[in-house]
Amino acid sequence: MARSATQRVTYQTLDVERRGRVGWLVFDRPEVGNAMDATMFTELEDAWRELDRDPEVRVIVNTGNGPAFQTGLDVAQLSKDKEALREQSRRTRDATLRLTAWHNEVWKPVIAAVNGTCAGGGLHFVADADVVIASSNAVFVDPHVSLGQVSAYETIGLIRKSPMEPIVRMALAGVHEHIDASRARQLGILSQVVDPPERLRDEAQLLAEKIARNSPAAMRVTKQALWGALDVGLTDACRAGARAVASLWGHPDQEEGPRAFAHKREPEWQPLEPLDVDDEGARA
Amino acid sequence: MIYPEFESLKVERRGPVGWLINNRPERLNAMSAGMRDEFALAWTELDRDPDVGVIVHTGEGRAFQTGVDVTEIASDGVGMERYRRSLEDFDLHFTSWHQQVWKPVITAVNGVCAGGGFHWIADADIVIAASDAEFFDPHVSIGQVVAIEAIGLLRKMPVEAVMRMAFVGRHERLSAHRAYELGMISQVVDPPEQLREEAQALGEKIARNSPAAMRATKRALWGALELGLTDACRAGAGELVSMWGHPDQEEGPRAFAEKREPQWRALTEP
Repeated sequence: MARSATQRVTYQTLDVERRGRVGWLVFDRPEVGNAMDATMFTELEDAWRELDRDPEVRVIVNTGNGPAFQTGLDVAQLSKDKEALREQSRRTRDATLRLTAWHNEVWKPVIAAVNGTCAGGGLHFVADADVVIASSNAVFVDPHVSLGQVSAYETIGLIRKSPMEPIVRMALAGVHEHIDASRARQLGILSQVVDPPERLRDEAQLLAEKIARNSPAAMRVTKQALWGALDVGLTDACRAGARAVASLWGHPDQEEGPRAFAHKREPEWQPLEPLDVDDEGARA
Repeated sequence: MIYPEFESLKVERRGPVGWLINNRPERLNAMSAGMRDEFALAWTELDRDPDVGVIVHTGEGRAFQTGVDVTEIASDGVGMERYRRSLEDFDLHFTSWHQQVWKPVITAVNGVCAGGGFHWIADADIVIAASDAEFFDPHVSIGQVVAIEAIGLLRKMPVEAVMRMAFVGRHERLSAHRAYELGMISQVVDPPEQLREEAQALGEKIARNSPAAMRATKRALWGALELGLTDACRAGAGELVSMWGHPDQEEGPRAFAEKREPQWRALTEP
């Protein structure tokens, strides 16, 4: 599976591109609401890894082609591919999914730009993004219980990150209710509603370019500390966070940042050092 | 109680409200090594003072707090290294949470709150702000990691907003109005000049409640951030029961029935 960072892969179910320092991971099965089939499962892992390893990419934007952002498992396709369905069921059971940036341990900042309907398993990509923005016509809905399925994984992620009552209501109301973009912003599930909806990608690119102006090394350690904090109690999280802060002291970016600020020029950050992880980058 | 002399802080009492005021306005109240030490003492003094029921923390000038004094760091050759040991050991003493102050603490944000200034938002019980206050976190824009204060915040408010501030750095600011919507703060004071009066009024309201009950409540709620839900409720039940039989629990209903202010017991040592 080892690929060099610059090698470009061809994808069937995703568009993966670069615009300047921003990597784009775009769901591309618009005819089925960008639902995930067996091919997309594999390709998501490859695409996150490709963008994470590309030194030119500082920030990743995740969005979808067509009227939907992401609508979860493609049940129709998977019912014809028993092996793929079994594998996904096993990963769900063992909590070893590799769908999102968090699952794949991507430590570059990730922006989810929700371009329309985000349903069911699509909520994984909202729960696991660092920053979330949406077009004004986006809606969030969790149909699991209307289909006799349990909603847990992605809604657990969401209740850690936003007020809980609206998430539980969404999980229990199933297909019969949705949260719209403006309510999602009020609740702090997302931070920006883009209107008209056609402006979504431009706004996402602008936001990503702002974030790309910051130190990649500092952002990586920050992201690890903040997500790690969701796993432990407050004092333990602060203790680990304090060590994370000190771990970067002496890094060249910490001289460059203030110097560039004083000289009113853009900082020239160091490229990210590769992380010492095995090739599969597994969240065990 | 007579407080010691402080250089970079003002510490005073107005009625039942103790005031801790950042007083380096010419440095936007940035925290020098000296100020860091003074914080530790000031919190302890206010916590000890039996006449202080509630503590308000605010700043002089146009900023509330802007984190570590970068000029001091850059100019004396020691840099951030002076803080390495205390950070690696998580041995910090500059907020009320660090100092285990169990009296209610109100942070009143009087202007810019940047970077390390978020420590006193994260660690306060209640936060109010002047309508022209602004919040941003420039750490990653100068090559620094942000962790502790953002970790505290993300336990207390929607996480996405905290992450956005952490990664956008100095290229965006959050308004007091949006901070209010997000529940990061509970009151926006307009006009801004009214901030201290409103903070005093809020402090006086809170000071009308049982000090012992508030102390146990504060311990239970902050303790809950350490644990899973069931364990937190179990520990909280312990705090709750610890007050049973306390004289305030007779005095409260009696004063209510007699339509008078309750005479609460002074806090004894924990």
